[in-house]
Amino acid sequence: MRSIRRELLVWLLLGLALGVAAAAVGTYLRAREEANALFDHQLEEMVASLTDAPFAPASGGAGGGGAGDDALVVQIWDRNGVQLYLSQPQRVLPKRAQLGFTNVHTDEGDWRVFSALAGNQVLQVAQPMHARRALAASMALRTIVPLLAMLPALGLLIWLIIAQGLKPLQRVAAAVARRSPTALEPLPERELPSEVQPLVQALNALLARLREALSAQRTFIADAAHELRTPLTAVHLQAQLAERATTDAERRGALADLKSGLERATRLSEQLLTLAREEPGVAERPVAPIDLHALARDVIRELAPLASAKSIDLGLIEPSAPGQPIVSGDVGALSTLVSNLIDNAVRYSPARGRVDVSALRDADRVVLTVRDTGPGIPPDERSRVFDRFYRGAHAENGSERGSGLGLAIVKRIAERHGAEIVLGEGIDGAGLGVTVRFPAAAA
Amino acid sequence: MRILLAEDDPMIGASVGRGLRQDGFAVDWVEDGRAAEAALGERVHDAIVLDLGLPRRTGLEVLGGMRRGGDTRPVLILTARDAVADRVAGLDAGADDYLVKPFDLDELSARLRALLRRGAGRAEPVLAHGEVELFPATREARFKGEPLSLSPREFALLEALIARPGAILSRVQLEDKLYGWADPVESNAVEVHIHALRRKLGADFIRNVRGVGWMVARPAPAQA
Repeated sequence: MRSIRRELLVWLLLGLALGVAAAAVGTYLRAREEANALFDHQLEEMVASLTDAPFAPASGGAGGGGAGDDALVVQIWDRNGVQLYLSQPQRVLPKRAQLGFTNVHTDEGDWRVFSALAGNQVLQVAQPMHARRALAASMALRTIVPLLAMLPALGLLIWLIIAQGLKPLQRVAAAVARRSPTALEPLPERELPSEVQPLVQALNALLARLREALSAQRTFIADAAHELRTPLTAVHLQAQLAERATTDAERRGALADLKSGLERATRLSEQLLTLAREEPGVAERPVAPIDLHALARDVIRELAPLASAKSIDLGLIEPSAPGQPIVSGDVGALSTLVSNLIDNAVRYSPARGRVDVSALRDADRVVLTVRDTGPGIPPDERSRVFDRFYRGAHAENGSERGSGLGLAIVKRIAERHGAEIVLGEGIDGAGLGVTVRFPAAAA
Repeated sequence: MRILLAEDDPMIGASVGRGLRQDGFAVDWVEDGRAAEAALGERVHDAIVLDLGLPRRTGLEVLGGMRRGGDTRPVLILTARDAVADRVAGLDAGADDYLVKPFDLDELSARLRALLRRGAGRAEPVLAHGEVELFPATREARFKGEPLSLSPREFALLEALIARPGAILSRVQLEDKLYGWADPVESNAVEVHIHALRRKLGADFIRNVRGVGWMVARPAPAQA
């Protein structure tokens, strides 16, 4: 698992180490420069001191052999280029010299050479460069060793400081962990560092949304339980009446009532289930291009018996405008939408009424309309009829009494399909006209 | 005894109405709060079964209006919400009893009888007058200790008269006790039932005040 603390520690220590390394390199370069100046001066001094006395020609092998690697090498030539003296014969140095300072590369390494003319002789002093480098390196090392020694202590300090810095996060985490799933009050936002505050604020915003969703859910469940009680009470009473029945005719009547009571309870539970399924984010259903005209025809075929039982003229209007009324959506949900609208229209229309359904393409929209000759919905009630369990006063009279869920389901499905619903007047200014405008599917 | 049933659900209303009628009550059924208030104004009902979730005027509003107007008739509320707060609100608004849906028809009848009994100032479940005893819970009657066979209408008529001894009840008042609005009122039915009761209980038990109505005599010494 990633850990901010570990990562910070690693990167900070790495940064520190890089800093130390840079310091070492810097010290080394600087020290080498100084050593160069110092040693160059020394070479000059030495040559100056050697020019005081002339030298005799060197006898081969003579000279102070066995000197250390770092020792200076002195060569002396006469004017004719005859080597008069070589302090370390085993050393291989160029046989000729350029006056002044030069850098010379030999098999034995780099040399710093200073040559000067003294009378008839050329004096040359050479020093191996590695001596200078060693000096610079040791100076650099002296600088960084204490820093390196401090690294573990610094690491510990960083570790502790980060822990301290992350405490507010841990407090927030602990506060969230202590929560029961139902405790959705906002987390305290006071005295938080500015880095943690956005997180807590975002969490609080989420909690607020959850709280709303949960309370909506609770209301829905309470409403649903309440609404289920009504048909169940009816069934309970109808069953009792069936028990009490003393004659066959009474019993048959009571059982028929009981059956219709059960049908109502079943229908309500089915509608509740439909509504729950249409809750946003419950499940992603496959989306397909759907011809609303064809869909409406199928639904009308299903509902025709209901309409003909009330002698209601239920029909589909053939589209006059060109263009296929095709929307992109979930076929099951759209069937429910169309079916609920037509079912409502048929239920609330008086006998021998009329229900017209049409689905047509209008520019970039597909417009579904269901118009009836029923009692209609007064304008001031139109916004509320989509509320769950809302039943308009007009719906109270007569035997038709819905669950108050049909239009809520329609609204939910329409919302999910990006459609808008407009309630208006029905056929010839009477009744109810429901218009649902869908975005047309891309051709 | 005539009951006003205010219940907006058609199935529940129909079933409760039928059940209460089977138990010997006359029942009038209204489906919204306004209709309930209109019916209450007629003052013909002995008790009210009131659903709290009525459209137009809620049960609590109807109840509040009744109690503010000095109407003390017993009210039994029906509620689909079993939250204590809802029941408390109902009782505080002046309800005498409540039932939570779903409820039992027998329990509803029993509670209504208890309310009517208490409303009449009686604690015991028996209506007694002279040698006649009525048991509203079982619709049984006794005369001189022997079981007495009465039709439901006869029972209701006798119950109404015995409940208010000494009071003269007119034919219309008695018809109100016997029939809901929906029931067809048979002409002379009250006279026919009174005649039958007199035959069973003796001519003196129910007295006719000509042109005014009928009464059972207040048993003078016992009532002191």
